[in-house]
Amino acid sequence: MLKVEGLTVRADGVELVHDVSFSLAPGERVGLIGESGSGKSLTALSLMGLLPEGVTATGRARLGGDDLLGVPESRLKGLRGSRMSMVFQEPMTALNPLMRVGAQVAEVMTLHGRPRGEARERAVELLDRVRLPEPARLARAYPHQLSGGQRQRVMLAIALANGPGLLICDEPTTALDVTVQKQMLDLISEVAPALLFITHDLAVVASMCERVLVMYGGRVVESGPLREVFTRPRHRYTQGLLAASRLTPRGTRLPVIEGSVPAAGHFPGGCVFRNRCPHATPTCETEPQLTEPQLTDPAPGDPAPGDPAPGDPAPGEPTPGEPTPTGDRHAFACWHPAE
Amino acid sequence: MTPPNPGPAGAAAPYLVKRVAVLLASTAVAAVAVFAFMALLPGDPAEIALGVNATPEAVAELRRQFGTDRPPAVRFLDWFGGLLQGDFGTSYVTSAPIGPQIADRLGVTVVLVAGGMAVALALAVPLGTFAAVHHRNPLGAAISAVSQIGIAVPAFLAGILLVFVFAVRAQALPSGGYVPLADGPGEWLRHLLMPWLSLGLVQGAVLTRYVRSAVLDVMREDYLRTARAKGRGSTGALWRHGLRNASIPVVTVLGLQLATLLIGAVVVERVFVLPGLGDLLLSGVAGRDLLLVQGVVMVLVAAVLLINFVVDVAYHLLDPRLR
Repeated sequence: MLKVEGLTVRADGVELVHDVSFSLAPGERVGLIGESGSGKSLTALSLMGLLPEGVTATGRARLGGDDLLGVPESRLKGLRGSRMSMVFQEPMTALNPLMRVGAQVAEVMTLHGRPRGEARERAVELLDRVRLPEPARLARAYPHQLSGGQRQRVMLAIALANGPGLLICDEPTTALDVTVQKQMLDLISEVAPALLFITHDLAVVASMCERVLVMYGGRVVESGPLREVFTRPRHRYTQGLLAASRLTPRGTRLPVIEGSVPAAGHFPGGCVFRNRCPHATPTCETEPQLTEPQLTDPAPGDPAPGDPAPGDPAPGEPTPGEPTPTGDRHAFACWHPAE
Repeated sequence: MTPPNPGPAGAAAPYLVKRVAVLLASTAVAAVAVFAFMALLPGDPAEIALGVNATPEAVAELRRQFGTDRPPAVRFLDWFGGLLQGDFGTSYVTSAPIGPQIADRLGVTVVLVAGGMAVALALAVPLGTFAAVHHRNPLGAAISAVSQIGIAVPAFLAGILLVFVFAVRAQALPSGGYVPLADGPGEWLRHLLMPWLSLGLVQGAVLTRYVRSAVLDVMREDYLRTARAKGRGSTGALWRHGLRNASIPVVTVLGLQLATLLIGAVVVERVFVLPGLGDLLLSGVAGRDLLLVQGVVMVLVAAVLLINFVVDVAYHLLDPRLR
């Protein structure tokens, strides 16, 4: 349904996202994880055509039969809010402070051709659907009269209003209280059609998604089914990320990834992670491709196309394999993956 | 959850009552201030009227006639009581009632200021918005630069330049004077065009910069991105969600500018020989007509207070967060 190939995002000649490819099947839930500055949000915004001024995306992205990249806004307008929608990180500022909540929900429906009266009625139903109390009354409230969690529910109602095939959530719970987060996540997983869920919270992604893409330095460094990636991370970055999020016994030092994320444009050539990677070798100066290693057991009944023979590549050697544009199976871009 | 209070009527009525009370109270305080200030000025109206050679008896007699021999508090209450009934008293110099003169002149000044403001708004809103939307290209930058120059020009200078170009050189418009609307709308308009422009161009330049920065701020707001995510184009999002939000800071400036315009009108009326309040004020000062000056100043002060009141109410209508 959504197919992204070679998505590259640039600002002032600096590549912020490099050659990202993935796809989403109808109803599928994919998590996009990584630290701040890894390019997750830009990836999502470029699909919506909402990149900030001066930032441009190239590559190919198709939603169903429609191109999302390199098309004029007049064409994208028809898709945004109807076939794909997005919930943003910051609910406090995402709603127009001067407009009643119900009108803001109704707006997305009238924009896509629903009559005004009908849109108003349905707005109340939607507020009810996202479990806001007294929806009819709340529809007449202004955003400042709602809590952050309630406002995020309103944003979700707006996103769902036209029954989109794809919902993109960019850290939808990061700004919310922990107690509210859980309810919000449950609600999203209950109502979402296909979901692209962006977060830096690994526990959240584990509860929401079937598949993950791990981003670092504007690249997808590892991808695959959630279970496999989380139980057996191959890329050293993913490994570090998981180690850092694991609960450690009292008194022991928290495991960390040494160093910090470089500023955009200051990542090393070759493997972008090599300046922080404890396993880096001169090989890493060559850029590793995101490949499906053949030693990964293919899921039963899902034989790897074109290569039935699983062989063990020697450790420390480049892993051969076809570059994977879809990321359906476990893939990673690392010259010396973790076993 | 705090129950939302969506009804606008619930909070608006007490608010309005409170604001009106504040307006009346501040007007009363302003009246005290204006009266006290005028009373402190040296110069006795009776002495002024009779000249330096008058006998003390004659001066005392005239003081009694004017009522200026009474204690200040009594005179204030007399004057303020009159004001409340629309009676501004009688001029010590011309013996003419002051109220009708002010009423006469007020109309001209209001028309002048309103026209000037309209010119300023008609210029600033489109230009400022355009400059914000195109802030990255040369035309937008050019608008900012030109408005910067406009700010540096005082209204009376703009007026003199306009007179030079349109009246002296092109001979297209009269250089001054006033024709009442009743005597012909065409002539009325021809006589007001240049005064409006000289007030409006300068204020418009100032306002353009405020509109530009307000729109720029709003363009960076998350809710505009939300509007685009809903399927609005960037222009549509700005129209539907941006302009009303941007108008809030602009209204603040507008209120301040109206007060400035009122003062600017005093000078511009001189330049264009318009029979407005400013003209009346200046001739009152020149003729030492203290009570007339007092009345005009009071009207100007009250007008500024009224403008502030209107700005406050406008905020309230624009921004539900204040309700």
